[in-house]
Amino acid sequence: MFKHILLPTDGSSLSHVAIQKGVQLAKAIKAKITGISVIPEQEYYLYQMQVQVKEETVKQHKVQANRNLSVIEKAAKDAGVPCDTFCEISDYPYEMIVKVAEKRGCDLIMMASHGRRGVGALLLGSETQKVLTHSKIPVLVYR
Amino acid sequence: MFKHILLPSDGSPLSEAAMRKGIQFAKTINARVTGFCVTPKLRYFSYDSDIGREFEKQAAAAVQAEVAKNLLAIKKAAKEAGVACDTAQEKSDEPYEAIIAAAQKRQCDLIIMASHGRRGGEGLLLGSETQKVLTHSKIPVLIYR
Repeated sequence: MFKHILLPTDGSSLSHVAIQKGVQLAKAIKAKITGISVIPEQEYYLYQMQVQVKEETVKQHKVQANRNLSVIEKAAKDAGVPCDTFCEISDYPYEMIVKVAEKRGCDLIMMASHGRRGVGALLLGSETQKVLTHSKIPVLVYR
Repeated sequence: MFKHILLPSDGSPLSEAAMRKGIQFAKTINARVTGFCVTPKLRYFSYDSDIGREFEKQAAAAVQAEVAKNLLAIKKAAKEAGVACDTAQEKSDEPYEAIIAAAQKRQCDLIIMASHGRRGGEGLLLGSETQKVLTHSKIPVLIYR
């Protein structure tokens, strides 16, 4: 069955729920997991003078991303599930999620129905929607 | 983990593929499955007439035969895999509502369905019922392409 589950996280509380469930599932079916956090590249810093600002923001985002990824690492370690984590830079999280899933040979993506920008009780989160639309790999969506 | 998986099916090839993968998944995690079909409420004619009634009767019989075939296919696949299986069907013009209601009523903890059903085809978009199930379900949904 599923051997390798991708768990994207943006640090939101809903994504933490999906992480816990994902680790549980991985344990039950003896799969390994890969955690990924995508931080924005912020191509909108167009001018040279802002390069420093850009570098500084990326650095700060990285700190947060690593904190988010450590949640996955800890959950996996507690459950005894083999786990790798990566921090990737892209302005299009969904694209990076699908790409990483394919590159690393994941056979399932597990994510929350909403992430950081989630509020609408009735709608799907935008990145989740886009992953669902573009992924050839099965996606398990948690509410 | 998951104990009871709802497998909605509309008999399309993609939904059949999802159903088979769903049964495999159920087998690995020792879950049971419930196969589920929604049939439309047929209302072809606004006026009451003999022809209308006769036509609707025939159409309903044809749909029922198709549903019975789909549910039988699920039962057979489950039996071959050694997975406990139930089947159910519901009449509704809003399949996604019936799917979610069935999942809740039967206390399913996962819904597995295809990204597209009968009206699928579009490479880039999600099927409309799948989309609506995802939007309204409080239960996790596993989508197969």
